[in-house]
Amino acid sequence: MKKYKQPSTIGRFGEFGGMYVSETLMPLLLNLDKSYKKIQKDKKFKKELNDLFKNYVGRPSSLHYAKNLSKYINGPKVYFKRDELNHTGAHKINNCLGQILLAKKMGKTRIIAETGAGQHGVATATVCALFGLPCYIYMGSKDIERQKPNVFRMKLLGATIIPVESGSKSLKDAMNEALRDWIKNVRDTFYIIGSTAGPHPYPKMVRDFQSVIGKEAREQILKVEKKLPDYLIACVGGGSNAMGLFYPFLNDKNVKIIGVEAAGKGAKTEETAATMTSGTPGILHGSYSYVLQDNDGQIKEAHSISAGLDYPGVGPEHSHLKDIKRVKYFGVTDKEALKAFQTCSKLEGIIPALEPSHALAYLIKAFKNKHKNKVVILNMCGRGDKDLFTAAKAIGFDADE
Amino acid sequence: MNKLDTLPKKKILSLFMTCGFPTLDQSKKIFNEILSHQPDIIEFGLPFSDPMADGPIIQEANKLALRSKLSTQKSLNLITELSKSKNNTAFVIMCYLNTIRKFGLNKFIKNIKSIVDGIIIVDLPFEEEGEIKKSLSKNNIHLIKLISPMTDKKRSKKLLKDSKGFIYYISATGITGSNRLDYKEINKNVQSIKKMSSVPVLVGFGIKSKKDVVNISNKTKADGVIIGSALIQKYFDLKMDFNKYLKKLNKFIKEVKV
Ligand SMILES: Cc1ncc(COP(=O)(O)O)c(C=O)c1O
Repeated sequence: MKKYKQPSTIGRFGEFGGMYVSETLMPLLLNLDKSYKKIQKDKKFKKELNDLFKNYVGRPSSLHYAKNLSKYINGPKVYFKRDELNHTGAHKINNCLGQILLAKKMGKTRIIAETGAGQHGVATATVCALFGLPCYIYMGSKDIERQKPNVFRMKLLGATIIPVESGSKSLKDAMNEALRDWIKNVRDTFYIIGSTAGPHPYPKMVRDFQSVIGKEAREQILKVEKKLPDYLIACVGGGSNAMGLFYPFLNDKNVKIIGVEAAGKGAKTEETAATMTSGTPGILHGSYSYVLQDNDGQIKEAHSISAGLDYPGVGPEHSHLKDIKRVKYFGVTDKEALKAFQTCSKLEGIIPALEPSHALAYLIKAFKNKHKNKVVILNMCGRGDKDLFTAAKAIGFDADE
Repeated sequence: MNKLDTLPKKKILSLFMTCGFPTLDQSKKIFNEILSHQPDIIEFGLPFSDPMADGPIIQEANKLALRSKLSTQKSLNLITELSKSKNNTAFVIMCYLNTIRKFGLNKFIKNIKSIVDGIIIVDLPFEEEGEIKKSLSKNNIHLIKLISPMTDKKRSKKLLKDSKGFIYYISATGITGSNRLDYKEINKNVQSIKKMSSVPVLVGFGIKSKKDVVNISNKTKADGVIIGSALIQKYFDLKMDFNKYLKKLNKFIKEVKV
């Protein structure tokens, strides 16, 4: 196998990716790309980021052997890479710290971000509080409704939340509005994109910042198991936690890699967010990648019980990894994810977010009574606190009192 | 012959309107009204579900058009039908790349060649244009270039090399329909563009009234203006009363034809 080396200098992962934005944004992206390249060689930047990872986020996150779940599955040994223990409760903070340090270096004085589940919004609001920068978060009104705890968190952290009423009122539309904000305020504003989506250099930059997950996991598993894992499993919304775990293993050809998408009510129904299972290549948010679209190229609305996976697109690198067959992608329904959410809580004493519950559901389903003596690392990329109300409602538990 | 090659020397007027807005039938009436004033250019916006570079008014127009199940083919049929009475008006399509990609580039070109003189693909930057530009140019359709206040000289030079038709100067660093017009800055940038290219420079984004049009003409060296959101806005101002809107449109276009 040839050594994996993506993207190209113009942000192509194979044929995917690129920069499909208007001329009002193009100069900014090129400038961002230049600044990012420069900072990658900057030792001081690296040290600053590593210090924050260690002392502010609590990295490295632990690698937990999920004994009870492994027993229940009666298959492989399952390890959780516990990024849900990070400060702010998900992997999103890794990327936000990297980007805000870059924003500082570029002299930007105003931060904007989009959010779906609110995890990226909370992480962005957090780093803005830490660095004393004003923070504006675009969030679909549908998501504001279903992620109330995170809305309150962002407000406490001093962020301004701008509700988005257009389109499906969720993540896709929040991203449209954030991009429009950026076009209007190009001079002072830095846009912290929360996933490996959007135009170049975001997919690469976010992957690089998140790949701390995979680097740590690699060292940790080598220490306890004296070998590389046989499987990696992660959920895929835009794809950042998955790329973070996968990237440092892409050249290890014996490591099989699985990405799990949200299939909503079923990958074959109209109410799905399984972009790579049900979508076709197209352009959304400045990037060429798989996308849910109709015959006229109009982007469809996605559906998932998990706000963080409720996105009709996916990062271009995942599209590439799918096409070269390095990673296999599967869909998991709302119902399956909810069940895994409960199973994991009971068996491991860990309440997962609904996003990694999708990865868990696939693991339980596909590995049951199979793959004994194998080792799996699952990215536990977020904790379930934010989802308690949604889950309670779906399960039929009255959580109001 | 390409009508964009014979634009007048000054005070060029280009009018933008979304296809299929508010419904396909009403859209025909709107375009016939616009066409009856014989503007120099009409820009036909093809509706897209995620018009990232457009402001709230054009977004809403796109939404209404799509709600009445407008397809790309129907938009192109509408343009074809209108082209029978186009006289000296140049036809330009403004769209997002995904629309063309999904329709198929060759099929798209087949549908519009000999009808459309130019095309603006909002989210196709110069870095990505390769094949598309070649195919368009083979069919005598000009790929119109956008220049923003953020585009520096070095980049402008690359961008404007062998540009055809006209140059679309984005007047505010903003999305369509924003309201800050800084004539000094516009003039500075327009003059700098004119040093690099001999095709007309039109100013668009945020032109709302006769006053704006006159100011652009008097205070800058631009060759004309593009009006879009302001045309559509009137529909909402009039609480979507279509008959009143058509009359208002007639009056407004007469006003801005200075
Ligand atoms: C906990 C968690 N996991 C996963 C995601 C999905 O994003 P990505 O695919 O970029 O990791 C989100 C997004 O909000 C999230 O909050």
